[in-house]
Amino acid sequence: MLSGCGEPPSTQSEKPVKVYRHAMDGAPGSLDPAQAASVYANFMVVNLYDTLYRYKYLARPYRLHPNLAADMPTISMDGLQLTIPIKKGVHFIDDPAFENGIGREVRAQDFVYSIKRHFDPKTRAQGAWLWQNRIEGLDEWKSRGSNYDNEISGLRALDDHTIQITLTRPFPQLLHTLTQGYSSVVPQEAIDLYGQQLSSHPVGSGPYQMVSRDPVRAVLARNPAFRAEPFDLQTEGFDKPTQGGLGLEILQGRVPPFTDRLELEFITEDAARWNAFSAGEVHFIKVPVSQFDSVLSGRDPLALSPQFENIYQFRASQDAGFIYTNFNMADESIGYHPDQRQNDRNRLLRCAMVKAFDWEKRNEIFFYGIGRVFPGVLPPSVPEYDANGDSGYILRDLEGARKLLQEGEWNEDNLPVLEYGFPNSVTERQIFEQFRNFMMDIGYPPEKIRPLIFATYGDYQRAYSQGKVTLINSSWTMDYPDAENNMQLYFGPNAAPGSNSSNYDNPEYNRLYRSASSLHESPERTRIYRQMNQLLINDCASITGISRTLLFLWDKQALMVPDRSFLGGYYLRFVEILDSTTVVP
Amino acid sequence: MKEISFITRRLLYGIVLVVGVTFISFLLMVYFGPDKTFELIGKNPTSQQIAEVRQSLGYDRPFLLRYVDYLFELGTLDLGLSDTSGEPVESVLARSLPISIALVVPGFILGNLLGLGFALFAAWNRGRWPDKLIMGASVMGMSISFLVIIIVLQVFLCTPYGLNIFPVRGWQVHDFSSYLHYVSVPTLALVLVTLGYNTRFYRAVMVEEIARDHIRTLRAFGASSFEILFRHVLKNSLIPVLTRVMFSVPFVLISGSLLLESFFGIPGIGLVTFNAITSGDQPILKAVVGLTGVLFVMALTLNDLLYGVVDPRVESS
Repeated sequence: MLSGCGEPPSTQSEKPVKVYRHAMDGAPGSLDPAQAASVYANFMVVNLYDTLYRYKYLARPYRLHPNLAADMPTISMDGLQLTIPIKKGVHFIDDPAFENGIGREVRAQDFVYSIKRHFDPKTRAQGAWLWQNRIEGLDEWKSRGSNYDNEISGLRALDDHTIQITLTRPFPQLLHTLTQGYSSVVPQEAIDLYGQQLSSHPVGSGPYQMVSRDPVRAVLARNPAFRAEPFDLQTEGFDKPTQGGLGLEILQGRVPPFTDRLELEFITEDAARWNAFSAGEVHFIKVPVSQFDSVLSGRDPLALSPQFENIYQFRASQDAGFIYTNFNMADESIGYHPDQRQNDRNRLLRCAMVKAFDWEKRNEIFFYGIGRVFPGVLPPSVPEYDANGDSGYILRDLEGARKLLQEGEWNEDNLPVLEYGFPNSVTERQIFEQFRNFMMDIGYPPEKIRPLIFATYGDYQRAYSQGKVTLINSSWTMDYPDAENNMQLYFGPNAAPGSNSSNYDNPEYNRLYRSASSLHESPERTRIYRQMNQLLINDCASITGISRTLLFLWDKQALMVPDRSFLGGYYLRFVEILDSTTVVP
Repeated sequence: MKEISFITRRLLYGIVLVVGVTFISFLLMVYFGPDKTFELIGKNPTSQQIAEVRQSLGYDRPFLLRYVDYLFELGTLDLGLSDTSGEPVESVLARSLPISIALVVPGFILGNLLGLGFALFAAWNRGRWPDKLIMGASVMGMSISFLVIIIVLQVFLCTPYGLNIFPVRGWQVHDFSSYLHYVSVPTLALVLVTLGYNTRFYRAVMVEEIARDHIRTLRAFGASSFEILFRHVLKNSLIPVLTRVMFSVPFVLISGSLLLESFFGIPGIGLVTFNAITSGDQPILKAVVGLTGVLFVMALTLNDLLYGVVDPRVESS
């Protein structure tokens, strides 16, 4: 057995190959951009394909930057027409899908084709919601049978290198949607050849191309034909005070991608992931909560344990999203009721439950006490966040809760039975038990808060979309860095099966949402969003929320600024692996 | 001629068995398994989009038609595409099955051989301290969770907190040396976890055999321990041993060892199956269930044939 010890024999050629090994806590499903719904799939897709835009590597808050696009778009005066030039001379990777197996140039028509695919039922696409009812003629194209020979007035290739998009109404978030894996440019030849199997046979023009993939890892190799665009610190938003110690200066002027090979390890078990990182088998890890104790020496401010300081780089990052528990407002036992008196009583009950909820304990037990609790749907990561907001909404007040129950004439006998749903897992069960305990403190009988357990998240989602769950514990990961993405969660027309799982439907909220939909981030929009947030708080439609703090550790040999939110997988092209002789300034 | 007739009867019986197994499994999958619709639709879906996804998954078709299609797929080995990764199911199986076999075969063989060895030794020393020591150790081995064994071995053998001489995870096998590099720790874990069960089972069989009259007669004639144990006790105990081994084979091959594959990052069939169960990937599940049924029938048939080899009385009956 010991003959198998030590390093496995190398099969590499003489030339040193720079490899970055990255641990992911989940595995991607389909790698067809039209189906890249998960964080993991999107993380890989943006490295295999090109999108028109991406976020700047180092700039925070996130700022848009042309990727396949040659420049930022030209926008008409009314904001409805965008003209986007794309870079010339960009080629898809070589693949049997192309004539003679040689990748052809990426054209504006490819982008048009790629967006059309989302509106073709055969694709089983998951990104159509981004552009549904937004682009002129696109929905009609689908209703006429998704015939690719038919043109769409609002989505056109003016020539091989110019795209024109015409919107049905102003959509300030459009460019953000064009950074997502969903919007990646796919060649029609690849679909013609591989069909559904494109999901395991990517043919793109991104910085990397697929070498192999199985349920536990994927190997990507540098795309030798990827366009040469020298790295510029200032353009990428380098901030010396916060990023100066990372050694990124040596990358200036060099051409990404800096590594020859990416090895992405899908390790769902926390212990195995941590062991792999400790053994040096991967360069990067999102630290499991179970290891926070050993990794941190202090929480405020967050500080790395001295034993790790010399070997690892460390970064804390606020999750781009939040965790909350919605009341099903379509359920007459706790939500809207045609009888005004009962409607008011239900509101008092919901508000009492909000007051009974102990965010401090939730944070301490499940988020190591370093999550950020905030009232409503405007987390600290968005500019609209109000540090002086209604903090009473997230403070436990048992006395106040009991008073509200009394005011609503609620007692042990007449309190409704609540079905609390969650997908099957130990943590979810613990979260449920904690919730039930909180409610027992205000006299809610435990047998009246029942667990409703589902085998998979999909089954759970189906159940709450069909109104079978009263209390919906869920999390939201923002799709783009714009608070609109959170506000739409409670917009009436987005009710289940849409993302408004609470079925909240406040006419004033809906009116304000519509009035702000054409506004870019501005003081006016901030005022409106805060007003909407307060409406939600006043109606006690949700117990919300907490935004997790994520901890990243990476080997000092790897020069990088990791990101798990909006930049996501785009940063992999900028990762550099140092050899032992390199001196970091 | 007699054998051919026997095998034919067995195979016909096997076909009925496979049809029964697949029907019940398919029924469970369709009516009680996860529904993938909501995992495959985007945010803010319309009811039309939900219907489109259900249609593309075939959920809108009558159960019996779907089942007939399933049998046809099994018969033609055209198993469709994975609902999750879009990869052809045949490719997934062709890639993962050999890995699982390579992963579990050393542990399976070692676990059984060592179990037999310890069982013979314990049975021969029945009631004395070697027996008590082996049985005590077996119970201890059976009591420790597989998960704990894996994590302790990983930390002790694969990380800087221990000896750090084997990889924590992976399966980049390209020759025998790299095979040993990746298979050693999982094999050790598998042996540790199965040895207790095997030893206890085999010991019970051996003890019964040792107590028989002909063994006492052999001892009275002064036959050596080696001759008694290996020529008479082991040989006469082969029927239950064979049954246990043969019936384990389909499950070892197909389900591999989920925990091993999951914690050691080995892309075998066990992990593929587990992922398919949790995600509701019906094409993969259907293939695995069908394959397990077929392998089970083959093992059953082979088992019956081997009975005749190890015990001529079975053949003559």
